[in-house]
Amino acid sequence: MGEMTAMPPGCTQVAAPGSPRSPDGPLGLYVHVPFCAATCDFCAFYQTVPTADGVGHYLEGIAAEAALVEWTRPVNTVFWGGGTPGLLAPVDLLRLGTTVRARLGGEPEEWTVELAPASVTAARLEVLRELGVTRVSLGVQSFQPGLLDALGRLHTREQVFRAYGLVRAAGFASVNLDLMFALPGQDEAAWLADLGAALALAPDHLSTYCLTFEEDTKLWVKLSQGRVKLDPEHEARLYEMTWARLAAAGYAQYEVSNFARPGHACRHNLNTWRMHEWIGLGPSAASQHAGFRGANIADLGRWLAHVARGERATEDRVMLTPALLAEDALIFGLRMNAGVDLAALRVLFPAAPWTDVAATIARLVDGGLAKRDDDMLCLTPRGRLLADAVGTELLGAFGANAVG
Amino acid sequence: MPVSRTRNFCIIAHVDHGKTTLSDRLLEHTNTVSQRMLTAQHLDSMDLEKERGITIKSHPVTMTYRAQDGKDYKLNLMDTPGHVDFSYEVSRSLAACEGAVLLIDAGQGVEAQTVANAHLAFAQQLKVIPVINKIDLPSANLELCTRQLEDILTIPAEEAILASGKSGIGIVDILEAVVARVPSPRWTDYPQARILVFDSLYDAYRGCIAYVRVFSGSIKAHDMMMLMSTGQKAEVKEVGIFTPKMEKCATLGPGDVGYIVSSIKTPADVKTGDTITLAARPATEMLPGYKEVRPMVFCGLYPLESDDYEKLKAGLARLQLNDAAFVYSSESSIALGFGFRCGFLGLLHMEIIQERVRREHDVDIISTYPSVIYHIVKQGGEKIEVDNPVNMPDPGTILEIREPTIRASIIIPNDSMGDMLSLIMEKRGMCDHTTTLDMNRVMLSAILPLNEILVDFNDRLKSITHGYGSMDYELGEYVVSDLVKMDIMINGDPVDAFACIVHREKAEGKGRQLCEKLAEIIPPQMFKVAIQAAIGGKVIARDNVREMRKDVTAKCYGGDISRKRKLLDKQKEGKKKMKQIGKVSIPPDAFIQVLKN
Ligand SMILES: Nc1nc2c(ncn2[C@@H]2O[C@H](COP(=O)(O)OP(=O)(O)OP(=O)(O)O)[C@@H](O)[C@H]2O)c(=O)[nH]1
Ligand code: SF4
Ligand SMILES: [Mg+2]
Repeated sequence: MGEMTAMPPGCTQVAAPGSPRSPDGPLGLYVHVPFCAATCDFCAFYQTVPTADGVGHYLEGIAAEAALVEWTRPVNTVFWGGGTPGLLAPVDLLRLGTTVRARLGGEPEEWTVELAPASVTAARLEVLRELGVTRVSLGVQSFQPGLLDALGRLHTREQVFRAYGLVRAAGFASVNLDLMFALPGQDEAAWLADLGAALALAPDHLSTYCLTFEEDTKLWVKLSQGRVKLDPEHEARLYEMTWARLAAAGYAQYEVSNFARPGHACRHNLNTWRMHEWIGLGPSAASQHAGFRGANIADLGRWLAHVARGERATEDRVMLTPALLAEDALIFGLRMNAGVDLAALRVLFPAAPWTDVAATIARLVDGGLAKRDDDMLCLTPRGRLLADAVGTELLGAFGANAVG
Repeated sequence: MPVSRTRNFCIIAHVDHGKTTLSDRLLEHTNTVSQRMLTAQHLDSMDLEKERGITIKSHPVTMTYRAQDGKDYKLNLMDTPGHVDFSYEVSRSLAACEGAVLLIDAGQGVEAQTVANAHLAFAQQLKVIPVINKIDLPSANLELCTRQLEDILTIPAEEAILASGKSGIGIVDILEAVVARVPSPRWTDYPQARILVFDSLYDAYRGCIAYVRVFSGSIKAHDMMMLMSTGQKAEVKEVGIFTPKMEKCATLGPGDVGYIVSSIKTPADVKTGDTITLAARPATEMLPGYKEVRPMVFCGLYPLESDDYEKLKAGLARLQLNDAAFVYSSESSIALGFGFRCGFLGLLHMEIIQERVRREHDVDIISTYPSVIYHIVKQGGEKIEVDNPVNMPDPGTILEIREPTIRASIIIPNDSMGDMLSLIMEKRGMCDHTTTLDMNRVMLSAILPLNEILVDFNDRLKSITHGYGSMDYELGEYVVSDLVKMDIMINGDPVDAFACIVHREKAEGKGRQLCEKLAEIIPPQMFKVAIQAAIGGKVIARDNVREMRKDVTAKCYGGDISRKRKLLDKQKEGKKKMKQIGKVSIPPDAFIQVLKN
């Protein structure tokens, strides 16, 4: 982590800029644990209510699916997300961990597990520590009871403090807090108060997510009924406030929504954005591996049926062409403060219309959206707020000959 | 029936003074249309006429009337439109008549088109029968109306008939006056056949149908006819009269009004105002025709969906078949795509054509700002006409620009005088004459640039006078004017659809207004986008499109990458549909929004 290379002027960085994947680049492993006690109003992740049978079958399914994967090289990073991995009983965590460990080919550099504050117990933490988990990510979202209620979150402010205390006591190398902003009814002061409460805990890492209205969520319904409104200006202001406040507190931004103290950036995610490879296990888990990108079926029963038959339940398979990888390494790479190394992209995909891309980049630079220093390209804060529009602009420059 | 018992007359008046309603009563009284079949405003046969309650085209109808002298008379009536845009229809109808029934709404009194149409009738030496109509109205002011008749129109008050088309009062008086006062058909003893074409209609099955008034001679099926203006000959297939439906008959003789179906299929070949004669024994002198009507107002019409281009083209072609005053040719615009440059007689005409395209041809359209025809004299003396600002030559090559003016007669209540004069000033006009009509009203005579009355003049007139003002105009002269072409530019690239020709003094205000509107309607952009109004490269007003503030997905982890990628691809596709002005992509409907209001 944090191998400090020479930085392009103006591009702050905690991690090296995107050197896109090579066949023997770092490999990630993502395990999706699809259980939640209830569904949060903003959530579009695949999850279901845990039952004893369901969990048992799920664990068998993970073992079966893992057996279907070709493990050609050691896994560098592991990430358990959900759902709520922390909802599994200690014994089930241990089973899952044992299955996973058997495939790692050594000790991973980083192993993250997402936990919901309400289900953090010393017993669970102890199992995770024993398994070799290095990083815990707590889904705090907010410290304010009213907002937590509004999100349909099942924990209290006190539970967050208690959970954080237990996690710290267990001695994980890195602890992250997930926060959300631009919640309905949350003004600037309320958000600053949440940020302040999080900073007071001195986590190693902070993820601050602007509330997104995902289709098929309760919040989306409210939005379409006009009961909540989008206000991009307000959101932009909250973004800027967040960036300023966290920088002042010593947390360097390394991606649109991610901040870390030196050495604590999440390597698993950095590798994802650099278009390296990762294997995904579990229903709805995405993979980018062995020449393809795809996602497992987002349904526990159907996923199980597939793996039981000895097939991986991948949908939406897309072949990883150099064109796709180059485009994505650029678009997703620019979300990172370190930006991308254009020279490396040119090597990866020499046939791309680089002249057109360069012209678009020049416009972005002229427009104050990007900074370019030789072959290092990164976005300015204003550009970062418009990263999607920038992405569309760049995709346009790649034109029709780039196969998506 | 001898020719001496034929009467040809039309009904003329200001808009809405009750011409078509009175016609209903005449049709009813003469049993031309049975009570059972008669609809309100029966002669307004087009859907649009019925819906808007206005007459757009003149409608002929032949009636038989047993007069109080016990004899039957053949009365050919023509109901005419009252709106100023269609005054050419009135002129044509007058040319086919010997008399005119002039209606005056008893509640409104003499208005602008009353005066204008009465003068048209006098000029053609027609017998004018004044009728004070709508006397059933509680607001009827008979004393005022008779005084206005004498003072403004110089018609003796005792000639006036009191009537109500609604209540059926005075109908017999009118019919008797037509019989007694309107002369029988003129020029009947000219040695050869002379037949005036006063209108034409295109029918998909029967080709071009000429609406005619026979002055001398007669015509029947199988005759060889000849159009005097071109010498083109054709076989007559059918002749008939209007009842008001077309009804076949054996012959049309002197004084008759009816229709001729011939072997001619091309509508352009049958020109209104032309004289038809018989090929075997042709006449040598044409009947007095009328001035060809020329469109005065132009605009671009574009389909909202570019796929509808062909449909629009077909629709315009069809409309033109029955409306020689409407012209069009194809043009294209960077902002709006492929469309047509169209010419109209006036604003109402423009509005009606647009509505008919939308309704009868089911095409959604947008129009650019209306323009007039400018005469441009270039250095070196060359003269050109420009009806589209885009075609304006480089300012350096122009010696002078001339614009069309109108002479307007505006009748208003006395107390609106001050506001009205300010409006005329604001519109660069000059009031050169005022006439007191009565204790409450004055008539202003003013010269105004046609261009200035295109947009909101009539609405403003109505609002200043609380609905009591009216205006008539005729085309005046072309005058030299300090006009400039103003371009609207987005990041330095001109947007053709917004180019306009304006008076230099008004350019800045108008430029600012347009820039503001565009800046407000164009969605926020990620780059700085300047909107400028410029004259010959010199910027006179500017604004900026709002800058996009936030467009970023918060969370983009492994599972989100495919999804995000699809979304960006979709946005990229969406961008292809946008209009490209230089490097700025603008949703096509942004321009439409601006043009709409
Ligand atoms: N009270 C009253 N209303 C009338 C009379 N005649 C017509 N109207 C009303 O006046 C309005 C206009 O009548 P039209 O017959 O369409 O008038 P017009 O002169 O043919 O109108 P344009 O063809 O558009 O110039 C309608 O609302 C009629 O109902 C009348 O004798 N008395
Ligand atoms: S946000 Fe997390 S805890 Fe809430 S429903 Fe979604 S996956 Fe479960
Ligand atoms: Mg009428």
